[in-house]
Amino acid sequence: MRNPSFTSNIRSILLVASWDLMKLKNQKVFLAMRVAWFTLQVLVFARAISFIVSQSILEYTGGVDYYYFYLLGIYTSLIYSTSISRGYVIADEFDDGIVEYHLSLPIKRGVFAVGRVLGSSLSTIIFTLPMMIVVYVILGVSNLFSIIVSLISALVFSIGVVSFVLLLVFSVKSTDLTDILVGAIDALLVRLSTVFYPLPVIEASGIAPYYVIALMNPISNLADFLRILVFPEYYMVFKYGVAPIVVYMVAFSMGLLVLAVEYYERKLEAGGWK
Amino acid sequence: MDWLRGLLLVAQRDLARFWRNIYWLAGQLAMNIADLVIFAVIFRGLVNPAYIPDYIRFITPGILCLSIFISAFSIGREVGIELRREVTHYLVSLPVTRGQLVAGRILGGVLRGFMYQAGFIILAVVLMGLPSVDKWLLILTASLLLAVTMSGLSITVSTLTRDFNLQAAIRSLVYFVFFFVSNVFYPEKALAVRLGSAAPFAYYSPMSMTVNIYRYGFNYVSSIDVFFNLTGLIVWSTLAVLFTYKVYIRNLTG
Repeated sequence: MRNPSFTSNIRSILLVASWDLMKLKNQKVFLAMRVAWFTLQVLVFARAISFIVSQSILEYTGGVDYYYFYLLGIYTSLIYSTSISRGYVIADEFDDGIVEYHLSLPIKRGVFAVGRVLGSSLSTIIFTLPMMIVVYVILGVSNLFSIIVSLISALVFSIGVVSFVLLLVFSVKSTDLTDILVGAIDALLVRLSTVFYPLPVIEASGIAPYYVIALMNPISNLADFLRILVFPEYYMVFKYGVAPIVVYMVAFSMGLLVLAVEYYERKLEAGGWK
Repeated sequence: MDWLRGLLLVAQRDLARFWRNIYWLAGQLAMNIADLVIFAVIFRGLVNPAYIPDYIRFITPGILCLSIFISAFSIGREVGIELRREVTHYLVSLPVTRGQLVAGRILGGVLRGFMYQAGFIILAVVLMGLPSVDKWLLILTASLLLAVTMSGLSITVSTLTRDFNLQAAIRSLVYFVFFFVSNVFYPEKALAVRLGSAAPFAYYSPMSMTVNIYRYGFNYVSSIDVFFNLTGLIVWSTLAVLFTYKVYIRNLTG
């Protein structure tokens, strides 16, 4: 027999998540902006920067052209930055006092937190869908399995990033400071990842901390996972295999989700967010 | 004289506020330094030396442009926050003319740009060598004109919406347009090959003009068309000031 509490929790999660999804309708201008800058990145920056990259890169990418290699890097960084921007939306709600309304809802705090994270992550995936289609069309990806697994992995990654940014917003409690911290973290994480360059190139720079951070960086893990998925030949030069990436990504996301829920439940009572 | 005093008061307020945002400054510094000590250092290993022999020396003038962009755009960020928190009512009630207010804010952005860029100029000297006196003059003029252009532009775009998220998105779009469609990250040849007939857009970008002057000033290239690049920057900054005056005042009082 189905547990009524479980069913009710699932219904609540879906209700909260659908609230986040509904807000997407008001973001048409924002989406247009994102599409515009993404187009510039793909058509101008990626094409021009790939021109100056040496052909020796092919030995580190398993023969994958740098332009294609970088396109999946752009898509990954887009998932990251869009997930982060969902955090801004939540930070804005703290500023605008919508949190009081949320806390007054007849929904358990933990369930509400899961719903927000899930809703924000699904919004991220839907929001970035046009850009994903552009990338996959350029790459010529038509394998349905690859596309579905890409979407699932992007969702798992996004859950981790949204949970992380929720934790940050709860801890910092200021839109300005969140903006600053997120900017600094973004600067370091994206540059110390495999978005722009393959791991062996980072290793060859001879700076061990760069390599270790890039290896452990969730952005690197998603980017490389998508590359292996789309270009099986990339797997040949990837010495750590797929299993550690999958385990790491799931652990990263679920770990941060649990922390975010825990934090939300403990800190938000009695004006704890102020 | 009174006109100047009012203008300086507005600029002084913006300058004083610059140092209050110490965490913001630290964040931006981290971003700029990350471009140089992470991106450039690693990416150097990927670049074909036939096109760019040393990517760090190539990108350093671009980082100087970026430092002006970021610091000048901090004015726009504050203008956006003022608009959201309705501090604008206080600003328009001040006993200064609209012209003084706009000029003061742009001057504030320029001064922030110079201060923020100073550290990166020293870094550029360390990496690229000391320019001659006449080249110093050229470098400082280019910084001044770019800072005026970017301050004006940042104030204008930040007043277009009260939505914080959208303000950040517009800022990023402006960044992408100016930096990607320019020769900051790659040589003009790469743009010519990849963009074809659209490549001249980069030629007229204020970033390309400034980075050309910086590269010449720091002896990365031996010659450039100084007249074209300087005149172009003067045109950009004049247009930016005029545009800012129109849009900022309209959105402030509208």
